Amino acid sequence: MRSPTDGPLAGAPIATRRRGGRAAFALIPFAILVGAFLLVPTVALVWGSFHDSNTGAFTLSNYSYLGDPLDLVPFRNSLELSLAATILGSVVGLLIAQAIVSSRRPIVQEIATTFSSVAANFAGVPLAFAFGATLGLNGLITVALKNNGIDINEGGFRLRSLMGLIVVYAYWEIPLMVLVMLPPLQAMKPSWREAAEILGASRWQYLRSVAIPILMTPFISSLLLLYANAFGAYATAYGLTTGFVSLVPIEISNLTNGDVSHNLGVADALAIGLAVIMAICIGSRAILERRSTRWLAR
Amino acid sequence: MANDPLLSRIDELSGAFTAGQIDRRRFLKGLIGLGLSLPAIGVIVAACSSAATPSPATLAPATMAPATLAPATAVPATASAAATLAAATFDPTALIAAAKGEGSLYQTGIPPEWVNYQAIFDLWKQNYGITINGTSTEGEYSSGQELDSIKNTGKPDVGDVGISFAVQAKTDGLSAPYKNSYWADIPDTAKDADGYWACNYWGAQAFAVNTDAVKIPINDWKDLLDPSLKNAVGIDGDPTKANDSFFAVWSAAIANGGGIDNIQPGIDFFNQLQQSGNLTAARASDANILSGEVKIAIKWDYLGLAVRDKAAGAPNITVTIPSSGSLASPYADIIAAKAPHPNAAKLWQELIYSDAAQLLFLKGYAHPIRFDALTAAGKIPADLAAKLPSADLYKKVTIVTDIAKITAAKTILGTGWKIVVNS
Repeated sequence: MRSPTDGPLAGAPIATRRRGGRAAFALIPFAILVGAFLLVPTVALVWGSFHDSNTGAFTLSNYSYLGDPLDLVPFRNSLELSLAATILGSVVGLLIAQAIVSSRRPIVQEIATTFSSVAANFAGVPLAFAFGATLGLNGLITVALKNNGIDINEGGFRLRSLMGLIVVYAYWEIPLMVLVMLPPLQAMKPSWREAAEILGASRWQYLRSVAIPILMTPFISSLLLLYANAFGAYATAYGLTTGFVSLVPIEISNLTNGDVSHNLGVADALAIGLAVIMAICIGSRAILERRSTRWLAR
Repeated sequence: MANDPLLSRIDELSGAFTAGQIDRRRFLKGLIGLGLSLPAIGVIVAACSSAATPSPATLAPATMAPATLAPATAVPATASAAATLAAATFDPTALIAAAKGEGSLYQTGIPPEWVNYQAIFDLWKQNYGITINGTSTEGEYSSGQELDSIKNTGKPDVGDVGISFAVQAKTDGLSAPYKNSYWADIPDTAKDADGYWACNYWGAQAFAVNTDAVKIPINDWKDLLDPSLKNAVGIDGDPTKANDSFFAVWSAAIANGGGIDNIQPGIDFFNQLQQSGNLTAARASDANILSGEVKIAIKWDYLGLAVRDKAAGAPNITVTIPSSGSLASPYADIIAAKAPHPNAAKLWQELIYSDAAQLLFLKGYAHPIRFDALTAAGKIPADLAAKLPSADLYKKVTIVTDIAKITAAKTILGTGWKIVVNS
């Protein structure tokens, strides 16, 4: 059983034990992994984004998309979609996770965890198909509702649009949130609450001074995970909308795989734009996290 | 004349070559060393080759030359020589005997399940009894892989490639010229003037309409803008990626003041379709057509006809060619420059352009290149014709083989399509 003082929940810095120089060797596999899958691609992306993919000459023109409102639409779509899917996923996911913890029935927890791990990984073309078959123009649910006098398409719902994608993304974002928030919620000890109550704290005071500070770091980490997950998703959106809702990953794939608008330099520049957004997310998480640890240390 | 030192040197080399004293490579090197132009060399080689007696294992001589020479410049002389030779001396019995002597045919990129090729393989077997190799290993190759195989393994005799790859094969010296005996029936735009490739069948953009869901007649592009068709019209993928939908957009240009030289009106038409809410983001795949998610699919006629048969009335689907016309993309066949079985390769050409094989293509809903000739001769069975859009509508179809125009259209689409999607 994890105690709240170890792992990512730790408030105080973990005491570092001095080790021999040999321990550094243990880092080699990790260093290779980071080098091969993070550093090298990043350097290649930066380099490629400043060079013309045909002539190899230095250029800034790959970044001209930043000045074209039409070219920024994929970024706006991706940001909106990821933000909406993250909010929907985190709020609903957190409530479900808390409900599971509160139920205190091992069987419920097990079923919920198993289902969540399956659903959180159910994405891509099969998911697009599943939604087409249920909420599509002639989907099972669409038709059933229509037969009962409710036409969701007349009501403005379009599965194969940005709005539809938010619903579809929530399908895996909610269980993902459940999965990542269950462990910290389970780690909250009832004795803390009892202690707070004995000291005369109200329910709100307990939440504000005890529960929220402890849960803040895992919660923000989860938000980041959900956001990154939505931002990078490609196959589901493409399977559902054939590229009619333009998102950054779809745009990049058009530039790398499409034979019509093939331009690796611009693809690199778009990927850098995506990386900058992710860096802002991670950076703000670091700042928030520092605040929450300071809270906790108080 | 013989006093001219250059001519006497050519005579010497030619004599040595025809007598078999020097091989082709040394002969060509010698000619190049004399500073002759490549076309001139081509003529000499062709002339000498017809005099030399080829061993059955080597290619018909004139076809060999382009592989060694720089093809682009060498083409005219050698190819026309080869073509004249082929046309003048074509005799099926001799070719069949020579092909049987070679014992087998190696194909690349000709999948048995594609456009009824299995039936054509069967026809070949039945007619000539010659084994076809390569089907299980290379049958599913893409056009690019086919050219790689021809270049690197030297095994393939014949291949079935997309039009741009046929042009590329000629440029890269990977294909050999041969004009089959039905050459005159093939439209000029659908064959290489020098005989390095010809198109054997094509597909045209068509409307596959779910008539259970769509109650208004759909005959032309403008009909797609009807307000009753919300979310109904679909294309087969992202046109910046998929050839099928790229041709759908391009075809729409014809009815809107553009055409093969100008794709922009097609893009504008799709923008209009998108703004009207009639264009669905659902891909016009078989599954989406059958489920009714896409009620009017714009895609290749052969795909539409196949899904119509698959649906078998659930739903009812009608396939039609837009009355303003549409564009067609052909497949071409090539003979490998270094084909180990050159006569079998030529016999294969004779077979696939024959009435019997062309009708088998049509049965597989690929539009055979000799369709007009077969129609004119009344050779298309009535029951088969009844399954197809009318022959008159097909007269409005333009076959696209000009690679430069395809590239130009794709460039314009690359920027133009963003407006359709993003605005």
